Amino acid sequence: MRKYADLAMIGIKEHTAYLSSVWANFLAKVVYLYMQFALWNALFASNKGSNIPLSHNETIRYIIVATIISTFMECDVIGWINGQIQSGDVANQLIRPIDYKFMIFARHIGTSLARFVIYTIPLMILICIFYNGELFCKKQLACGILSIILAYMIQFLYSLIIGLMAFWLIVTWPLNMLLAAIYKLLSGSWIPAAMFPELLTKINMFLPFRAIYAIPVTIITTPMSAESIRESLSIQLFWVVALFLISEAAWVVGKNKLVVQGG
Amino acid sequence: MSIEVNNLTKIYKQKKHQKKIAVDNISFTIPGGEIVGFIGPNGAGKSTTIKMMTGILTPDNGSISINGMNFKKNRKEIMLKTGVVFGQKSVLCWDIPVIDSLKLFRDMYRVPREVFIENMDAFIAILGLDEFIDQPPRLLSLGQRMKADLAASLIYNPDVLFLDEPTIGIDVLSKERIRHFIKKINEERHTTIILTTHDVSDIESLCEKMIIIDKGALIYDGTLPQLKSDYRTTDLEEIIKKIYLAGEKRYEKIC
Ligand SMILES: Nc1ncnc2c1ncn2[C@@H]1O[C@H](COP(=O)(O)OP(=O)(O)O)[C@@H](O)[C@H]1O
Ligand SMILES: [Mg+2]
Repeated sequence: MRKYADLAMIGIKEHTAYLSSVWANFLAKVVYLYMQFALWNALFASNKGSNIPLSHNETIRYIIVATIISTFMECDVIGWINGQIQSGDVANQLIRPIDYKFMIFARHIGTSLARFVIYTIPLMILICIFYNGELFCKKQLACGILSIILAYMIQFLYSLIIGLMAFWLIVTWPLNMLLAAIYKLLSGSWIPAAMFPELLTKINMFLPFRAIYAIPVTIITTPMSAESIRESLSIQLFWVVALFLISEAAWVVGKNKLVVQGG
Repeated sequence: MSIEVNNLTKIYKQKKHQKKIAVDNISFTIPGGEIVGFIGPNGAGKSTTIKMMTGILTPDNGSISINGMNFKKNRKEIMLKTGVVFGQKSVLCWDIPVIDSLKLFRDMYRVPREVFIENMDAFIAILGLDEFIDQPPRLLSLGQRMKADLAASLIYNPDVLFLDEPTIGIDVLSKERIRHFIKKINEERHTTIILTTHDVSDIESLCEKMIIIDKGALIYDGTLPQLKSDYRTTDLEEIIKKIYLAGEKRYEKIC
């Protein structure tokens, strides 16, 4: 267990090694949130909300909670794996007596902890000061936290699978750009998933993305029946299992295909 | 620990369906406790062979057995007993103080407290590790980084140590210290050491046995004195030059 704690610690230190980027990241989050806020306010002011499925208030709550979650959920796992493949550093990971995936996960947890302290808490304090209203559905908060944990697993496993694809593709950034855009849109981190047109909603039913933001944020912000909470959580659980199995398969295939760069 | 390599082959797929046979059906045995020089011109396939012997790459054909164990069945056991240093790439975390990487390896390889302290003392005494232990590798000079890498690969007392060009770009005095340290480790702990280098004096001062490969094929496998008596000269540099030249000529004929 200690070795995982060490790895998490290294994740924390790595994330805080470049202090200026920490500040830039935090400012970027604040600006992003403000822009979202201004945008939706303007949209609702001009439209009166006649054909928007969420109310003004619900929408604002959604984007605030989604932004808060994104501060610790977003990870660089794809970037790490790609970087390690391209520089050949992946060799250093493969000679260790620990599973590569666990090493990446431990480091990812460390980074998330660092992000939580550096970004999430200050952002929540800022929001407490500037937003006066009920942000959370208190009754559903416990389920919401459980849902966030499941979403965290899904987000990690998804990133791991895409990252592992570099084991045989080596250069994956064009694919990554495309996937990043799809991810941002379909997960509901930009726009509440409830506002998607019908076709997109249908496609999204069969994809894991909405389980990362749309489901946990909705559980936290919108009152729901116990049954639909249960259903949402089961969908997430399904994706955790499915993505875990896919990641195992990707690992087995990738390990044999891997070509380490550099002499 | 002894190493047995049988009919090892690795083929890289290069652009446009071109294939490159980097390691071509080589076999050799390395008995436990020896220092073996693994020599060959640039692109001979040394690093590729080492990557297969350390379980990083999967061979396309052939087998590797380390003390009777193989990577399919005993991956973790082998990893616990293997140390690797790549001269061209650090095994340490780039942005993290060296000491943190050492502590990570202590926990990862379950090094007992006394052993860790004892080894750290030795690293400080011989390699002068204390000078830069609190700095991250990105702030170290090449020689310092190499010393830190050696320490990181030896902190858990591996039974086999792979050194891929450990003296590349290092000044004479540091090189001397590193060699001395490698020799000492081998004598005290009976660590099996596989060393690739382009520096003839590294081989002269360290290796009893030599394995020479060229274009992926095994050229020589025997002792250093034997090689010298075969070529009737004690000038190792001359011998190696001859072997490499002969390899180039053979290659020209085929093409
Ligand atoms: N990732 C790779 N993709 C394609 N070819 C490679 C790759 N790595 C090495 N090679 C080729 O395999 C051969 C052996 O390389 P290597 O084992 O690094 O040689 P050495 O370490 O002896 O200098 C070289 O011809 C090199 O061009
Ligand atoms: Mg090499």
